Amino acid sequence: MSATSTPLEKLRATPRPFFERFYPYGFILPALLIIGLFTIYPVLYALRISAFQYVLTKPNSHPFIGFKNFEDVVTSYYFKTALINTSVYTIASVAGVILFGLLVALLLNSKNRSVNVLKIIILLPWAIPAVVAGLMWKWILNSDFGIFNAVLYSLGAIDSYIPFLADPNLAKLSLILAHIWKEGPLAAIFLLAGLQLIPNEYYEAAKIDGGSSLSVFRFITLPLLRPILLVVLVYETMTAILTFDLVYVLTGGGPGDATSLISWFAYAEIFKSLNLGTGIALSIIIALITLVLIFLYMRALRTEDTIS
Amino acid sequence: MNRISKLTAIFFLLALLVGACGGPAPAATEPAAQPPAEQDVTKPVALDFVVWSYGIETINNNIKNFQEANPNITINLKDYSWLDYHDTMVAAFAANNAPHLLYGSDHWLYEWASAGWLAPLDQYCPNVKEYSKEVAPYALQGMTYNGQVYGVSYYADTLDFIYNDALLKEAGITEPPATLDDLYNQAKQLKEQGVTEYPIIMAWSQKEGAFPEAWTSLVFAQHEGDNAMFDKDLNPVFNKESSAAFQVMEWLRKVYEEGLIDPASLSTAEIDQVKSMQSGAHVFTIAPQYNMAELNKPGSGEHAGQFKIALMPGSSNSTVGYARFYAMTQKTVDEGPEAIAAACKFMDYFGGKTDGDYVVVKRWAVENGLGFAQLPLFEDQAVIDAFGKWGDVPTIKEQATLARSKEGMTTWYGSWDVFARAEIQKGILGEQSTMDTLNNMAEKWNELKAAQ
Repeated sequence: MSATSTPLEKLRATPRPFFERFYPYGFILPALLIIGLFTIYPVLYALRISAFQYVLTKPNSHPFIGFKNFEDVVTSYYFKTALINTSVYTIASVAGVILFGLLVALLLNSKNRSVNVLKIIILLPWAIPAVVAGLMWKWILNSDFGIFNAVLYSLGAIDSYIPFLADPNLAKLSLILAHIWKEGPLAAIFLLAGLQLIPNEYYEAAKIDGGSSLSVFRFITLPLLRPILLVVLVYETMTAILTFDLVYVLTGGGPGDATSLISWFAYAEIFKSLNLGTGIALSIIIALITLVLIFLYMRALRTEDTIS
Repeated sequence: MNRISKLTAIFFLLALLVGACGGPAPAATEPAAQPPAEQDVTKPVALDFVVWSYGIETINNNIKNFQEANPNITINLKDYSWLDYHDTMVAAFAANNAPHLLYGSDHWLYEWASAGWLAPLDQYCPNVKEYSKEVAPYALQGMTYNGQVYGVSYYADTLDFIYNDALLKEAGITEPPATLDDLYNQAKQLKEQGVTEYPIIMAWSQKEGAFPEAWTSLVFAQHEGDNAMFDKDLNPVFNKESSAAFQVMEWLRKVYEEGLIDPASLSTAEIDQVKSMQSGAHVFTIAPQYNMAELNKPGSGEHAGQFKIALMPGSSNSTVGYARFYAMTQKTVDEGPEAIAAACKFMDYFGGKTDGDYVVVKRWAVENGLGFAQLPLFEDQAVIDAFGKWGDVPTIKEQATLARSKEGMTTWYGSWDVFARAEIQKGILGEQSTMDTLNNMAEKWNELKAAQ
């Protein structure tokens, strides 16, 4: 060590006791173990199974088949349809959730007295488990005694009850509607938080400059809300792609394959066909699609930060 | 690379190694040597018994009675919803967490037995062979895999054609339809006269358990003899213009297009089907026969007592019969002779005879209207009296004798079933032609068969 060593270099060069060197690792070890056990190990195990023929009804035969499970999934009868259905569902749901969330957030951000009560009530759909929400919508949309039909009928909007869940297009729409109802409140609360972070001075300045409500929204609210909007976009995209419970309860993938989303087939492969190999291969494909989207969104977020 | 990175990398590598070395779940163990069966249970034995959620109070009471008669045996009951039952049990089997005893069904038998999850009852419980002699052929077929019997019947039923007699008479129709043409004409007449908007309803939601059975029962009724769907080598024979399946699909498409069948049928579950019929919104349906007790239950609605059964419309009047049964898992066998003996006692009590009488099966029939496969019960006065309150016993018996087990029960039936349900719906909706529907179904069948 040279005579000109800095105090920091001297400190680094001084041998530290064993405990002092390793106790930080001791603190992170439990968390690392839990993550390893419940996240990393299952992922690696799933990756391994995806390379084997793993049909539950053949417990003694699991030959290595490389990427065949992935090939089977991609060339399967359902993959293309499910991918299209999932894309349509995701785009419509995310757009609907954000629009709904934004409108509700703007309403809640007003100086209305009832806002505090509304803030609690609006969160209720989000707090309801998806399966329960699905069952509720199933009854609401029932074609014989559903309240939605009853309301439309009593208003004279329809001549006879509509089988919402038995028509391919209406079933898709119903599923999207139920998703927006379920997820919209969370988006609203996120966006409300974003709205409340925008300094009031900007609005006052715009008012003095004679800006209309629309231009205030376009040139002040929306740009300053973009970071939160992107967070909501990421979360809601993931939620929409991974939707399974709502489909399971509400439509079962039907009628025909109108509402068969890709997660539904991951379930069907594992629990109906008992083919864990292809089911997991499909799950990995879904995870990869989601990862790619997250990556794209994160790039968008980073760009936005840089601009800021 | 700093220390934390190194540590993390080592951790990941270890996890990878564990993941890679950790093989798939252990294979099912080979059956133990055949132990002495039907012996007395001398030591305390506790058996887990899993059922789907139906009649839990009755089941608990049956268990109580059984335990009083067999003080060394304790039965621990657990139940799951019917809709989740199959998936829950598959997960339990795959995780080596199977119960000792459980409800089984004919459409899962190949899947579960071929995986080694169930034990053949006739190999371990000699009385089962005697019971099997008195069981209706369709039900015995539904409990048999590779020549061995895997269950004693909990209940067995047929898919029956049900109609509302009062609404039919309101339209001036005195006889129920005997053929699909009759059914079409009567439905048209009912609609034109404004009796109901949609005279026919089916419970053909893709999640509905009895969807394939109801569809197949229509096919069977238009076909004479066996091999309506598959030949003896399990090759599809339904994708021909001369087939019963083609005839049924064309008919379904016609009644859908003309608004004679409720379009909501494609999203309707059995419970909604029953409620809709009770409300008088529909006149005709196909449902498991046990629903008749609920439909005609006094106080269940203004139409209670108006529902009747007719033979399945078609040239042969055949229908699908299915069996739900008590099964024993391989786990019981692995636990040894005491567990097996206790399980056999359980089978005797629940699906077999106690003092020469089918006590529990008869109870289900009398109290809940559940169908049965034990043929002597058709002559039992208590059963005749009970069934007579809501149904026509001679017609029920006649339909039961015309019933056949579903064709194509194989290990790949479950996969095909998921595909076929969607295809049938697409055919009915007119999204594809009948021939395309049937060809797609046949192609998928052949693909799955070839993959075995």
